[in-house]
Parts: sequence; C-alpha cells; structure tokens
Amino acid sequence: MSRVVARVSEIVPGTTRAVNVDGVDILLCNAGGAIYAIEDLCTHDGSPLDQGTLDGACVICPRHGATFDVRTGEALTLPAVLPVPTFAVTIEGDDVVLDL
Amino acid sequence: MILPAYPPVKPEKILQLRLHNLDYAAGRGYALCAMAPQVQPPTAPSGSEQEYQHGFHDPEHYVFKSGKGLTREIVERISSMKQEPEWMRDFRLNAYELFMSKPMPSWGDTALLSEIDFADLHYFVKSTDGPERNWDDVPDDIKRTFDRLGIPEAERKFLSGVSAQYESEVVYHSVREDLERAGVLFCDMDTAVKLHPEIIRKYLSTVIPPGDNKFAALNSAVWSGGSFVYVPKGVEVKMPLQAYFRINAENMGQFERTLIIADEGAKVHYIEGCTAPKFSTASLHSAVVELIALDGSSIRYTTIQNWYRNIFNLVTKRAIAKRNATVEWVDGNIGSRLTMKYPAIYLMGEGARGEILSMAFAGEGQHQDAGAKVIHAAPNTTSVVTNKSVVAHGGKTTYRGLVEIYPGAVGAKARVRCDALIMDDQSSSDTKPTMKIHEQRSTVEHEASVSKIGEEQLFYAMSRGLTEADATAMIVNGFFDFFIKELPMEYAVELNRLVKMEMEGSVG
Repeated sequence: MSRVVARVSEIVPGTTRAVNVDGVDILLCNAGGAIYAIEDLCTHDGSPLDQGTLDGACVICPRHGATFDVRTGEALTLPAVLPVPTFAVTIEGDDVVLDL
Repeated sequence: MILPAYPPVKPEKILQLRLHNLDYAAGRGYALCAMAPQVQPPTAPSGSEQEYQHGFHDPEHYVFKSGKGLTREIVERISSMKQEPEWMRDFRLNAYELFMSKPMPSWGDTALLSEIDFADLHYFVKSTDGPERNWDDVPDDIKRTFDRLGIPEAERKFLSGVSAQYESEVVYHSVREDLERAGVLFCDMDTAVKLHPEIIRKYLSTVIPPGDNKFAALNSAVWSGGSFVYVPKGVEVKMPLQAYFRINAENMGQFERTLIIADEGAKVHYIEGCTAPKFSTASLHSAVVELIALDGSSIRYTTIQNWYRNIFNLVTKRAIAKRNATVEWVDGNIGSRLTMKYPAIYLMGEGARGEILSMAFAGEGQHQDAGAKVIHAAPNTTSVVTNKSVVAHGGKTTYRGLVEIYPGAVGAKARVRCDALIMDDQSSSDTKPTMKIHEQRSTVEHEASVSKIGEEQLFYAMSRGLTEADATAMIVNGFFDFFIKELPMEYAVELNRLVKMEMEGSVG
C-alpha cells in the first residue's frame, strides 16, 4: 500500500526526518539528494535514530555510535549487529511515497 | 607455521631498549637501539604547557606535559606532536566533540564517578627515557608490597615510574626476529598509525566506535600508546606477547588504545598488566581494547590490573569473533579505587566461541564494578562466563553482565556462573546479570552463589596445623584457582602471594 508520507523539499540534504506511518516510526534520510527510508529504531538499544547524524549514506546513532547504511539497512559497526529494516521509496514530483 | 616456544621472560631479563617515539625516520617503528636516543626538544612552550628538563649523563631529555583540562587545541597539539596523518587528527577531533556532548553515566557508582574532575586532569604526558620521580617519593605501602611479592629490583623502579627501562638479554632479540620472519606485526599504536595505516583505518573503531560511551570518546580523542598486533593467516604465536616487549614511556599510559587482529586461522595470546601495584600520578585511566578474531582464529587476552588505590580505571574492551573463531578474556581486577570494565564478545560467525574468566578482589575503599557481556549473533555459538569475587575490609564488588541472543542464533549455548565470597560485615557484593533472549532455540544457564568462608573448611585446615590466616589465604587462593591456573607460571606465583597479602587482617 503506497502512502505519501512527506515532501522532498521538507527534508534538507544531509539530514533526516522522522515520520510515523500507521504506528510505525520511520526515518527518512536525504543522502546527497536521494531519499531513503529506514525504521527509526536502532537495533542495538531499540530507541530512535532521529537525533543521530547522517554522514553521507550512513546514519549514526547518537547514544552508542552504531552506524547503519541507510540504503541497505546494514549495520556497519558494533554495537549494532542486526540490520535495520528498510522501506522502498518512490519519488513522485515533490512527494515521498512509501510502499508499506 | 608455529613459532618455537620460549619460556616467559622475566622483565629484568628483557633487552634494554628505548623506542623512538619522536623519531620515525628510522623506518622500523619498533627499532631497538642500545644507545640513548638524541631527542629533539619540543618547540618553545606556549601558555599553559609546562616543559622541563632532566639532567643525565646522556644527552638531555625533555618532558612535555599538557596543561590541565581538555580543549580542542590540546587534542590538536597531541596529534601534531605525534606527527599523525590527517585522518587520525580528524578521528580525534570528532571523538573530542562526542566526549564533550555526552553526559556522565547515570548508573554505576555515581558517587565515586562524580569525584572525577575532568578540568583538573592532565591528558597528555610524554616523557622520554627520564625518571619521573624519586624512589623516595614512592609510597611506603608500594615498597612493602614489592618486598612481599619478591619483585626484582629492576622491576620495582620501572613499576613505580622511577626508571623507564629494564636490564637486557639476548633472548629478546631473537624473539623479535622470529615474530618478524613470521610476518607478525607487533608495535605500539603510535607507530602502527604511521607504519600500517591501511590496516588501522580498516579496523580501528569498528568494534568500539568513539560514540560508544563517554570514556571511549575520551580515549579516542586523547589516546597515546597501547599495542597493535596483527597475526597473519595460519600463524600461531606460541609465546604470549606482552606489553613489556614494547617498552616505552607510554607503557603505563592513561589512555592506551589497543587493537589486535588475528587473521584466518591465526592464534595469539596477549598479556598486559602485572600483579605488582602500578603507581601513577594520573588518577584517571581509560583504555580501549578492540579484538578482531577472523574465521577460525583464536585470541586470548589476559589482564591483571593492580592499579594503585587512588586510580579510576574505566575501560572499554570488546571483541568480535567470526566463524569458528575463539576469543577468551582472562581478566583480573585487584587494584584501583574504582574499576568499571565489562569485557565483551560479539559472536558474529557460526560456531564462534567465547569465554570470559574474571576475578575481582576489593579491599578497603575499593569498588570493582566488573562483569562480562556476550552477544550471540550467529547459530551454534557457545559462551562461558565465570566470574568470582572476594570482598574484604569494607570493599565492594559488583558484577554487571549481559547475555544477549539475537533472533536466528539457533543452537546458541550460554552459561554464566558468578560466585562471591564476602569476608566480613563491612564488605558487600552485588550481582546484576541481564539476559535478553530473542531466540527460543537456544540454551542459557545462569548460576550464582554468595558465601563466606565455610567454618568446616577453615576448621579442617587449622586442625592440620595451619594458622587461621594461612588457611584463609589458602581457601581464597583455591576460590580463585579457576583463574590462576590460566596464567603463565610467574604471574600465577605472584598472584598467589598477592592474594595472601590482601587477605591478611581479614580474618574474623
């Protein structure tokens, strides 16, 4: 089911934006112009990633430094071990459309 | 290839050597030389820095000590003094920002932790080949401990910071040659950054990112010294590598950074610390140790920590074990005022195995807050944690442990055993284990006990002619036997004596 969750123009390149879609916390990341969507949950401690920093295509959890590749969800450093779930993103004009 | 086994070499027999910390033009980062190095004095002091000179019969040596407190400028100065590449300087500065932004832990011994005054510490002291203090300044109780433990003269001076080198012997030379021929890289971290940047950049901070916790961030910003070990595929290093073998003035550094990598099928045992009390004027020691055991390899890391009783020892130690690899932490905590240390193993590959043996002794005014963490992130992984602690004279120990089994770690087996021995009414021991099990097809066992010395055991020993003090010492040494028998002979002998000493006066 596709949903418009945000506008591209709302997400500054190099930053993230947290949205809640049907009870699921999702983090939209603008990595150099491309938008990616991951679940807003660090797989290490189960708390949100939205206060972390986006470095290129990697989001760094603010609490313990766990790093995830937002394109694949892969955990790049400890203490995170499990990948974070990703969601397919389609851009329609200025709309960010997620397929949930 | 298997290297010949050498008997553990007593420190006073190690070749006299001085490492050039400031002279990297030599090419061989761990070059040995018999002559005292000609050290270039640092540039003129600026502002709050102090530089002073020791007179020797040899060429003059300088000591650099940064001003108190930590600023961005001091971090930059550390990096430029070490003549580090740009990427390491950036790494430090990024870590500095993280350190400044993170709060102190809200858990643990917050009362003791609040005594740390970050603004009142020196974060970088570089001394080259010069005694930092007089033998007369060394506290009496340390001197007495040296006597009791039978520590050789040469070692006493080194341990108390009075002297920066040992006596020598040819054995050491040939040991180093063997390591080199096998392709084993073993040097201090400062040198490794310059000589092996590709390996360092690939692995450093992948196990413990600077953002992991406030003290890992601090270490990442101001680290100095520590060991770098890389063992190539299939190489088994028979003799334990010891920190003594890379002796330099940073050996007892406040912020050591260690990285050990065992390539596929390699095997290595590394030992640090010693049973004799280590005296240091720096009151905060915060080391970071990262171990990476690639497929089929094996790393054992032994630590005996006996820091002097004024020291805060806050350490982050973590290992990754890949497929069929083994990592063992053998962790002894005897000294320091407050130690917070939780050696961790991430079992990332199928069939990986982890073992953590930890012992803690807390006497008057001490708090050993130690533990173990094991994370099973792959199927058919096994782990064993054995933790034993003894408290006496009002000391306090805490065991803080974690066993986490991630989904998919089918067939994981974890076993934890914590035993505490409380010697008197003033002392206390807490056990705080946590188990997070996300995979039903796994087995987790936990066993804990708290006791005092059994009356019957004591009576039996005394009825055989032992005094109560001797019997107590013997029983406590037996309690710690699981740990002591894993140590090389000399450490075991010293530790036995040390335990006996610590137990004195704890009868009744």
